Amino acid sequence: MLKKILLPTILVILGYGFWISPDFKEIAAGVAIFLFGMLALEEGFKAFSGGTLEKILQKSTDKLYKSIGFGIIATTVMQSSSLVSVLTISFLGAGLIGLAQGIGIVFGANIGTTTGAWLVAGFGLKVKISAYAMPMLVFGVILIFQKAKSLRGIGYILAGLGFLFLGIHYMKDGFEAFKSTIDLAAFGGTGLKYLFIFTGIGVFATVVMQSSHATLVLIITALSVGQISYENALALAIGANVGTTITAIIGAMSSNIVGKRLAGAHLIFNVITGFIAIIFMSQIMYSVDIVSSAVGIAADDWTLKLAVFHTIFNIIGVLVMVPFIDRLVVFLETSLKDKAITSSSTSVDHVKYLNNSVLELPGTAMVAIVNETKHLYENAFEIINHGLNLKRANIVSSMPLEEVVKDVYSDTVIDIDDFYNRKIKGIYGEIIDFSTKAQSAMEPEDIEKLYKIKLANRDIVEAIKGTKHLQKNLVKYAASPNEHIKWQYDTIKKDLAELLRNINIIATTDEEDVILLLLSKAKVHAEKHDIIANGKLDSLIRDGLITNEMATSLMNDSAYAYDISKNLIEMAEVVFVNANSDLRDLGDDMMMSEEDIDNIVTKDK
Amino acid sequence: MGIKNFIETVKESLGLDDFEKKNKKKSIKSLLKKLNDKKAKLAVELNNKKTSKKQKKEFEEELDITNIQIKNGEKILSKLEA
Repeated sequence: MLKKILLPTILVILGYGFWISPDFKEIAAGVAIFLFGMLALEEGFKAFSGGTLEKILQKSTDKLYKSIGFGIIATTVMQSSSLVSVLTISFLGAGLIGLAQGIGIVFGANIGTTTGAWLVAGFGLKVKISAYAMPMLVFGVILIFQKAKSLRGIGYILAGLGFLFLGIHYMKDGFEAFKSTIDLAAFGGTGLKYLFIFTGIGVFATVVMQSSHATLVLIITALSVGQISYENALALAIGANVGTTITAIIGAMSSNIVGKRLAGAHLIFNVITGFIAIIFMSQIMYSVDIVSSAVGIAADDWTLKLAVFHTIFNIIGVLVMVPFIDRLVVFLETSLKDKAITSSSTSVDHVKYLNNSVLELPGTAMVAIVNETKHLYENAFEIINHGLNLKRANIVSSMPLEEVVKDVYSDTVIDIDDFYNRKIKGIYGEIIDFSTKAQSAMEPEDIEKLYKIKLANRDIVEAIKGTKHLQKNLVKYAASPNEHIKWQYDTIKKDLAELLRNINIIATTDEEDVILLLLSKAKVHAEKHDIIANGKLDSLIRDGLITNEMATSLMNDSAYAYDISKNLIEMAEVVFVNANSDLRDLGDDMMMSEEDIDNIVTKDK
Repeated sequence: MGIKNFIETVKESLGLDDFEKKNKKKSIKSLLKKLNDKKAKLAVELNNKKTSKKQKKEFEEELDITNIQIKNGEKILSKLEA
């Protein structure tokens, strides 16, 4: 309802404003051009987020100080804390970084955003900025029309900067002309009442424009021509800081629960920082005077002093909040719970890492798909274990495999179809759908990688289907009076249990030699344990140890077990081995060839 | 100059290709060290009289696999050093 009223109201107010004041029109046009510049700039940086940004992010956020540093640098370069926040939400949603790292980046972004105030106050107002805007726009637009993605990205960045500069120029001109007709400073005042009023205006203006940068530029340009007082400008800047969280909140709406938690952290941080700034306003203003005189800023250079204020209060905010990051993480995790996890175990499982906000970032989308595939495997791991009548806890323990096989999960056959429908089908479908959408923004080599991941997903599903076929006879012959057939089925179970255990180790270790050994062993064992190939089945039939019916079942089930092994090994190679950066660099050359496997199998015979 | 050529020239002048090669070499050398350590350990276990027959069979298989991996690793290293 509010949405329906808000937009027409704003349009009517703006229209009325344009009608009564051409200067207001110039200021509003300046803001519009500035915002358009921000959009172009964001578009430009997105063109470079196809892997490079993600790689830097992964390496530079393992420690809190690094995350904060990354936030500062990224925001300084991109000149948009909102873009950095939204990107961070995407990275979080895809499982690329954790919540604490995400919070560190957002804190850093708050400090980084203060460089914007310095640029505008120190450079934008003192130099004829529009002179730089025109060539940037021309070169930018020419590059935007190029085919190469990186050139287009540079084009958008240049055009974005050009529009930003042009917007600042119009705002400055508008305010200078406006001054001769209306003195806005007359509406201002001092005291706590005005502090809150102007903070509120700052929040409102930023929520409407969805850019604290635009609000800040507006404040600085108005301050530079004396249209607002220094004290009121400080309050507006505090408001802009709080209002900017709206962009992250909107960004988090399409993200998963971790993204929402980060938006919550951003809001909490900026509101607390705002309160600190309001409560200690006179002390901060005093420290601004000290810092300004120390760095040689004139006592009446209000715009630069505003930049100093903006920096000081954001740094204070970070210093105050850093010791509480862990508590903040706990608070957000307990107050914003994942509905999918809190609901009962019989409910349908949903995707954890896929959200549309990462579709435009190919590298992040790839990480999200890999993580979702791992999630799918976790569910499949449970189903396959139960389907084989094994206990999950025993598989991930170091219990001898002979005992693992004896300690059964259930005396009856479990309903694999039900498990499949609740824990696999939906996620599998969404992975395929998301992959298809994501590949449109990917380079050919990434599409090839994505194809392998899709096949790995299919392997997981095929392994479950194989387990379903195998399940009936596993239960039936486990209670058979014929020791030979019972032993054969126990061996199938034991071999698959060994494989599941090895894959679990592969998934959780960082030791490349262990990963290589276990994967090679799994490949060798899959061939070695194939009772059709190793002649075991023939000897059982020849010696009359099993009936014809048993032989047929064993032959079919042995083939199912072989397929399950093959599917799971291929999946592990794509999903877990390639996730290890050192092994991925070495490529397939380190893997054993089929000839090598055959040699080992033959030697054993 | 096309953008791809430009990137290649920059990579060449900054020695980024060498950097990639160096990283790969570092990875394979560290892996080979681990594999050789593993090989030595397996040899000790195989010569241990207390090792059961079943365990010996398992260690022999692991030794075969490790030998193949060392061979593959050395092949990659010699290619990188060529």
